[in-house]
Amino acid sequence: MDWILKLVNIGKDFVFHHQQGTRLVVINNFSMDFSPGETAVLSGPSGSGKSTLLRMIYASYKTEKGHIFIKHHGKQVDVATAAPALIYNIRQDTIGYVSQFLRVVPRVSALDTVIEPLIARNMEENLAMEKGKQMLERLNIPQNLWHLSATTFSGGEQQRINIARGFIASYPIMLLDEPTASLDAKNRKVVMELIQEAQLHGSCIISIFHDKYDQQIIAGRTIDMSEQLLKEA
Amino acid sequence: MTGMPDKTNLPLLKVQNLSKFFGKHIGCHDINFELSPGEVIGIVGESGSGKSTLLNCIAGKTNPTNGAVYFNSSDGYIDLCMSDEALLRKIARTQTGFVTQNSRDGLRMGISAGGNIGERLMANGMRNYGQIRKIALEWLETVEIDPARIDDLPETFSGGMQQRLQIAANLVTEPKIMLMDEPTSGLDVSVQARLIDVLRKLVSRLNLSMVLVTHDLAVARLMCHRLYVMKNGKIIESGLSDQILDDPRKPYTQLLVSSVLKP
Repeated sequence: MDWILKLVNIGKDFVFHHQQGTRLVVINNFSMDFSPGETAVLSGPSGSGKSTLLRMIYASYKTEKGHIFIKHHGKQVDVATAAPALIYNIRQDTIGYVSQFLRVVPRVSALDTVIEPLIARNMEENLAMEKGKQMLERLNIPQNLWHLSATTFSGGEQQRINIARGFIASYPIMLLDEPTASLDAKNRKVVMELIQEAQLHGSCIISIFHDKYDQQIIAGRTIDMSEQLLKEA
Repeated sequence: MTGMPDKTNLPLLKVQNLSKFFGKHIGCHDINFELSPGEVIGIVGESGSGKSTLLNCIAGKTNPTNGAVYFNSSDGYIDLCMSDEALLRKIARTQTGFVTQNSRDGLRMGISAGGNIGERLMANGMRNYGQIRKIALEWLETVEIDPARIDDLPETFSGGMQQRLQIAANLVTEPKIMLMDEPTSGLDVSVQARLIDVLRKLVSRLNLSMVLVTHDLAVARLMCHRLYVMKNGKIIESGLSDQILDDPRKPYTQLLVSSVLKP
């Protein structure tokens, strides 16, 4: 099978040194291939490692066991061992990550926050602004907020700024960690459309959805993460 | 920090086996890292962990006991620990900048804001007064100080303005690298936000590299691509900023991250 992401025997445990050295196994010798353009939904109860898996693929969490191979600019690379330089580049061009939480930078306008991924790819600023405005409009952010810092925005507005930022550029691999959680019906519909557009663009989408209805719209493969924890290590 | 550093070039700085002892006391021990053009790295850890000693060694303000600091100057790699004073002064005037925690140490309080910015230009041989003044005005604007204050003494400035003046006075010769020792501590949060914003813009506009010493993890997350955690003079953990702050592995790093109010 042609793959774009290949997980080979990855494992992750957390040791809490200041809480009696408690050791928690969250990902247990897990292997799986993902094809270009496929859609997968991670399911399982909380604590079954869904978010951890996405963060390992994005390299926000270190992977100390196993390999996370991806195709980046046509070459096979291992995220688990890639140098920082390569990770910056992978996050710019190959892997996108959207959660429900925006990390707000004070004094940076909502519009600038949204277009940053395009600017990083050297898109001309006026064009990036145009795209940013369209995206903010689609997500129903009132125009009088575009040039303000998101620091003072409501939780729902910040969440939509983060979604706009996450979907403004297309990535061969997209990781979605409950992007629709706590959105109202109107905006949830917009997010589902954005996801479907990314699918049409050929992105491989790996997602976590709390909402069963959203899971069904996304369709594709369902991966039950609770099973991997039951295996012998 | 989400801007992407340019990693195609050779490292700008290579610190190898750097140690500094003060008698029997360890300042910093066996430090190794590289810094690429456009990259911002943070050195975090509690007071007394050796952060500032390390920065002072890199800046040539303290002589290390062992090791080397290779800097990719316009004349190729040179070891900043082994070079003669004249060369070090020349490099410190043109290719590196140093911003201290206490701006009184980094500024001349007895000469005007414009004079502080112009000094580095004059030291590099610029003599045209009109031109120096014009450049100083531009830099005041860049760091968001009212250009009308150009003839005022830094003493009349607030702490945040002094810090920004210090940054302007360093950046005026367009150095490749800025070494910063707690530039945001002692400033109230709104002033701190402004300074961070100014610095982030300068990093992306000038492809500037920085080594930032800070004990503020929220600042570290906003500013730095990578972090090094120091304890008792040694680097105990390093990685991408999100790896260190979201997935700390070492006991001390876990303590450090869990001790702060959520950044």
